[in-house]
Amino acid sequence: MKMAGLDLTVQKLFRVPLFGIFLLFGIIAVSTSWVCIATVDSQLSEEYESNSAGIAQTIADASVDIILNRDLSALQSLIDQFLEIQGISYIYIADENGEFLAHTFVPGIPEEILASDPTNTETVERQLFGADTYVEVGSPILAGVAGAVHIGMDKSIITLKIQQAVGQQMYLISSIFLVGIIAAVALMNLAAKPVERLLGYAVQLARAEQEAGGAEQNPLLERDDEAGQLARLLLYFSKVSDPKKLGDDPYPEPS
Amino acid sequence: MSGFNRRKFLYSGLLGGLASPWLGPRLALAQPMADGESYEGVSDEEIVLGTSAAFSGPSQGLGIELYRGAQAYFTQINAEGGINGRRIVLKLYDDGYQPVPSVQNTMELLLRDRVFALFGYVGTPTVTRVLPILKKFQQENVYIFFPFTGAQPQREPPYGEFAFNLRASYLEETAGLVENFLSIGRRRIAVFYQADAYGRSGWAGVRAALGAYGERIVAEATYTRGAAFTSSMREQVAILRNGNPDAVICIGAYGACAAFLRDAVDGGIEAPIANLSFVGSENLLQLIIESVGESAPYTRWLVNSQVVPSYEDDSIPIVREYSALMRQNNPQVPEALRQPGYAPFERSFTSLEGFANAKMMAEILTRLGDSPNRARLEEAIFTVRDFDLGIGELISFSPERRQGMRRLYYTVVEQDRFVPLEDWQARFG
Repeated sequence: MKMAGLDLTVQKLFRVPLFGIFLLFGIIAVSTSWVCIATVDSQLSEEYESNSAGIAQTIADASVDIILNRDLSALQSLIDQFLEIQGISYIYIADENGEFLAHTFVPGIPEEILASDPTNTETVERQLFGADTYVEVGSPILAGVAGAVHIGMDKSIITLKIQQAVGQQMYLISSIFLVGIIAAVALMNLAAKPVERLLGYAVQLARAEQEAGGAEQNPLLERDDEAGQLARLLLYFSKVSDPKKLGDDPYPEPS
Repeated sequence: MSGFNRRKFLYSGLLGGLASPWLGPRLALAQPMADGESYEGVSDEEIVLGTSAAFSGPSQGLGIELYRGAQAYFTQINAEGGINGRRIVLKLYDDGYQPVPSVQNTMELLLRDRVFALFGYVGTPTVTRVLPILKKFQQENVYIFFPFTGAQPQREPPYGEFAFNLRASYLEETAGLVENFLSIGRRRIAVFYQADAYGRSGWAGVRAALGAYGERIVAEATYTRGAAFTSSMREQVAILRNGNPDAVICIGAYGACAAFLRDAVDGGIEAPIANLSFVGSENLLQLIIESVGESAPYTRWLVNSQVVPSYEDDSIPIVREYSALMRQNNPQVPEALRQPGYAPFERSFTSLEGFANAKMMAEILTRLGDSPNRARLEEAIFTVRDFDLGIGELISFSPERRQGMRRLYYTVVEQDRFVPLEDWQARFG
């Protein structure tokens, strides 16, 4: 609403609350996402590590006879089958002297793994093939006297699952946020309308437009809410400033 | 099904004297037998053998050529009245040289089709997955005959008792190559191999052979099974060059090995590049010839080991027989399994091996007599003692000897053809 060059749009009054709503949603989105990331990351990492350790143990147990029989093609066939499990990126088996007996690397065993101690079965995190991160778990074969099995899990699988989980959560929060904003704007407009009219009425009174008698005919004066009371108060003040107009109780109790 | 076209087809051999080499699908045989029936792939008219092999994909040439060689012989046998009056019928499935389809096909062959025996399988990664199935069916005396692989799992416990091999093993092939390279002073040997059971089998053979002479593999690189000739092998070449090898032994299929040969020569490796018999020599050579203007700089370093003699050597009886029957019957893969763009070779090492396999299989079936049944298979096979297949090597089978042949042959390329390698020193010394 514009009047004599003045911007009388009362929604200005609600800019701070609106900003507050945005801020609140932002805090909710960030905090829930952070909790989601931390939870999914922790649980999936634990689960993958646990599963991989189990698989490594299974291969280690199944490899004993094969290694003792020196049938390396059967050993390779065995690990190739486990490579089909989602999340497992590479498997290698080294003997007790650290010689690689079977592996799934193409085009070759990465330098970092060649430089490591393959008899060590502690869980380690490796950067391989550029920037990809892998968690490697190991399991000894025959308590280590026949070598060790190592399984590498691609952490990008976990990242992908986190992205999917956070994405779904953000989608839900954004939908709620959008509905909330639309509802808030509608409600604010509903609340702002009488205030806006009141403001216009005050300006009208200030400009002594009531001389034409229109000031006492304004529908605002009929309202029984705060806007009606303020309108009547403003009318009273305008009459106080001009005593000959003084008459009725300017602030009647709401009926 | 992972982009691979799995199709099945029942091939029926020639009915005595018919010019047409195959009949249409015999659907009756594809029906499951009713409970209580003891059908074992044998009827009064035929003996059904089951095959799962690569008829599609980058290694299709192996399955196709092996089949064509076998069928050239079976067609002739069938034309002459079959084995004791029964035609030999091959029921074919395509596995694309992939283990999972191979297992599925085998289950179909055993449970649904109820074939008499498995015959003519192609590849180590496929056969090694099938072997446990045979152990599962050991009460039914199911055997696999003459798979096109030299790997150890079907030659050793716990599965060796369910397989019969005709060809030499990869251990023998790799040992032969290593010994020949060492004999001419090429001691720094690198390995390029397929990242699976086949590659590992050859790698283990090279490692063991070198170990016997106190040497080690100086560099190794792998490729993914199914790699085609269009794949780049420059990374693998770079890895092997770091080892400064005197020779490279490749354990792979023709597409990848041809790509490696191309990139190795382009990448400056000047050393013999050897392949095992499984590679599919003619397919490899064809890829090189068709892709480079002048093939000699690439084939100059090529040496392939073979488990059958040269098909150019007509002094060998089985070669004469093979050449005549391939010309006469010119067997083709059944239409349902045929791939566009593949032109079969008139003759090849692979089809000659298929021919030898079929001839040995027919001999075993003949020894089973009028009432063939699986329970007597082993007994019949073990009667094969010093049998002359016409290949220049007497063949025997026994409980301790489940591999018929041991002899190896080495070939190099001259004027775009494989010829026997007579002198390693003169060629690569």
